[in-house]
Amino acid sequence: MAEPSSEPVDVLIIGAGASGAAMAWSLADTRMRIVCMEQGDWTSPGEYPTNYPDWEQRLAGEHSSDPNVRGLVTDYPINNDESPISVVNFNGVGGGTILYAAHFPRLHPSDFRVRSLDGVADDWPLGYEHLEPYFAENDRMMGVSGLSGDPTYPAKQPPLPPLPLGLTGEAMAQGFNKLGWHWWPSDSAIVSRLYEGRDQCKNLGPCTSGCAQGAKSSVDITYWPAAQRSGVELWTRCRVREITLNDNGMADGVIYYDADGNEQHQRAEVIVMACNGVGTPRILLNSTSSQFPDGLANRSGMVGKNLMFHPIGFVQGLFEERLDSHKGPQGCSFLSNEFYETDESRGFVRGYMMQVTRGGGGPWGTAMQGAMTGSIPWGPGHHEAFKRRFDHTASIGILCEDLPEEHNTVTLDPELVDSDGIPAPKISYRLSENSQRMLDHGVARATDVMNAAGAIEVVGGGPARAAGWHLLGTARMGNDPERSVVNSWGRSHDVKNLFIVDGSIFVTSGGVNPTSTIQALALYIADTMKKNLANLFD
Amino acid sequence: MNDKLITSDQPLSPDQQSILAAIIDTIVPASDDGAMPSATELNFIGYLQQFSPESLTDMPEILAAFDDGFANQELMARYDSVKVYSEAQPTLFLQLLAQVYACYYQDARVQEAIGIGTGAPFPRGNTVEPGDLSLLDPVMQSDITWRR
Repeated sequence: MAEPSSEPVDVLIIGAGASGAAMAWSLADTRMRIVCMEQGDWTSPGEYPTNYPDWEQRLAGEHSSDPNVRGLVTDYPINNDESPISVVNFNGVGGGTILYAAHFPRLHPSDFRVRSLDGVADDWPLGYEHLEPYFAENDRMMGVSGLSGDPTYPAKQPPLPPLPLGLTGEAMAQGFNKLGWHWWPSDSAIVSRLYEGRDQCKNLGPCTSGCAQGAKSSVDITYWPAAQRSGVELWTRCRVREITLNDNGMADGVIYYDADGNEQHQRAEVIVMACNGVGTPRILLNSTSSQFPDGLANRSGMVGKNLMFHPIGFVQGLFEERLDSHKGPQGCSFLSNEFYETDESRGFVRGYMMQVTRGGGGPWGTAMQGAMTGSIPWGPGHHEAFKRRFDHTASIGILCEDLPEEHNTVTLDPELVDSDGIPAPKISYRLSENSQRMLDHGVARATDVMNAAGAIEVVGGGPARAAGWHLLGTARMGNDPERSVVNSWGRSHDVKNLFIVDGSIFVTSGGVNPTSTIQALALYIADTMKKNLANLFD
Repeated sequence: MNDKLITSDQPLSPDQQSILAAIIDTIVPASDDGAMPSATELNFIGYLQQFSPESLTDMPEILAAFDDGFANQELMARYDSVKVYSEAQPTLFLQLLAQVYACYYQDARVQEAIGIGTGAPFPRGNTVEPGDLSLLDPVMQSDITWRR
């Protein structure tokens, strides 16, 4: 942590996760004074669960992805009572990339044009072609493994070869081939070979526990070291309460709490929000003034509205043969875009991606899941049932595009507060009929492909509750200031020196894990800012 | 020696230890072929002391539900008793079950018997089969393309 500066900093970035890190690194070559404030701490790979024999129990408790379970002083509580999907995240340097699965597909070209193509939601004010060079730059910076040639994307070339398919991937690929369905090895933000001083993945298993090996590309070990070497200052344990305004309606700094709970004020010429789809609207809604009584940059009334998750269904298949299901990287094997694009005969618009994962947890997780479902009894018969299931499963996640709906919101909870007394976010979300139909279709098709692959037993359902990883749309971009919060390069329509670069600016969600696109957007916005430095506020 | 004495390094009395040993042997008995040990062969109390000392607080309450003769019963008779307890006290039983499984599946003998590496995953790591990418040939030959 650093003391506040008496002078205004040139750029103040709030949040040191995926987008904040990319923005900081890109802006560093301007030689401006850039400070990033992060409410959490650095994490130590030596403390990640896979360093310990009780790694599975640690994952379920103190290293949970649910901030309400984890309950660190650096976390803030979230009221999920009015949502079938609860928010999961990580608050610290690296943000969600510390605990993400690192499945790293890009949004598709069609995702930016859903109004034009399918007559729903809105088109983005920019297209895939605008982001393409930034996707590639981000792949290089993060260290992405994959295979070129996927026919469902424009040409791209991941910098590293794909991760191994493994026995699970081979078994499932045969099922997809039997049905004539698309599949392709996933782009994964995990290094499959020695890359930039980081040793290759050694298949520890649960990437969502943090990677003790350092093979998973979390931004604390990719962008941040490069940004800091270039002079960016990263201040940890600085929790921003609100953004302050001057009389001209420009943001002039932030009020934050330091690690000791002392209130501080830091002035800044430019402020960049990078707190993702819940954290960003939380701060904006908490930044009220006579000029913005409903929250900063909220003359459109869109701040906190249009929250999109990706409703996720899960299907698990049991196989006669051993598949080494517990060996990682768990979330990254291959994906299928067979049902990604709209086909109205299916009864819904837009579509979903199938994310084929390696299937199973460790032995404790397998035994506990078996106890909960009744498939592995305790007592006599335990060993036979355990042996039949452990390492014999494959799984498919069905990741559904969620369309924006204004009634799905992030607001400030009237009672719940964090450890500094800042109002906590409240999630109000209803699964749409379109999303439910999409989920049902996905579960049915995933069951089909499990059967085609030879599964002897298949179970599935959705939406998964503690699966709100992808937090999108709550400060949407657009050309119309009446219907959007930021313009096509992330600048607030209302406050000309306030930028937003995280998932909250997504217009639609697509049906893929969003981190790659979030970071490409951040790099695009940074580059646009650099090209317009002389007239940034015009 | 007083059997009722609880020493500083042994949180349960010998009677309580006998009942606990019988319970965990019921939850995870040895396999018929002898390949898998009974959970009672492991140092369950030592495990709890190291990894979950707070769990020991609930143990006397759980053990008090079983009478003195329980420990000497045959497996299926003990199973019936534990089953009754699991239905009467599902939360406490689930907590106990989670700890028994945690202890059991962290044991090196058990890990070797189920065919996985022993100890923490890092730095050991795992070997994953590379897989056959020629399986992609039909996809490459398909007329699928991205939507413009």
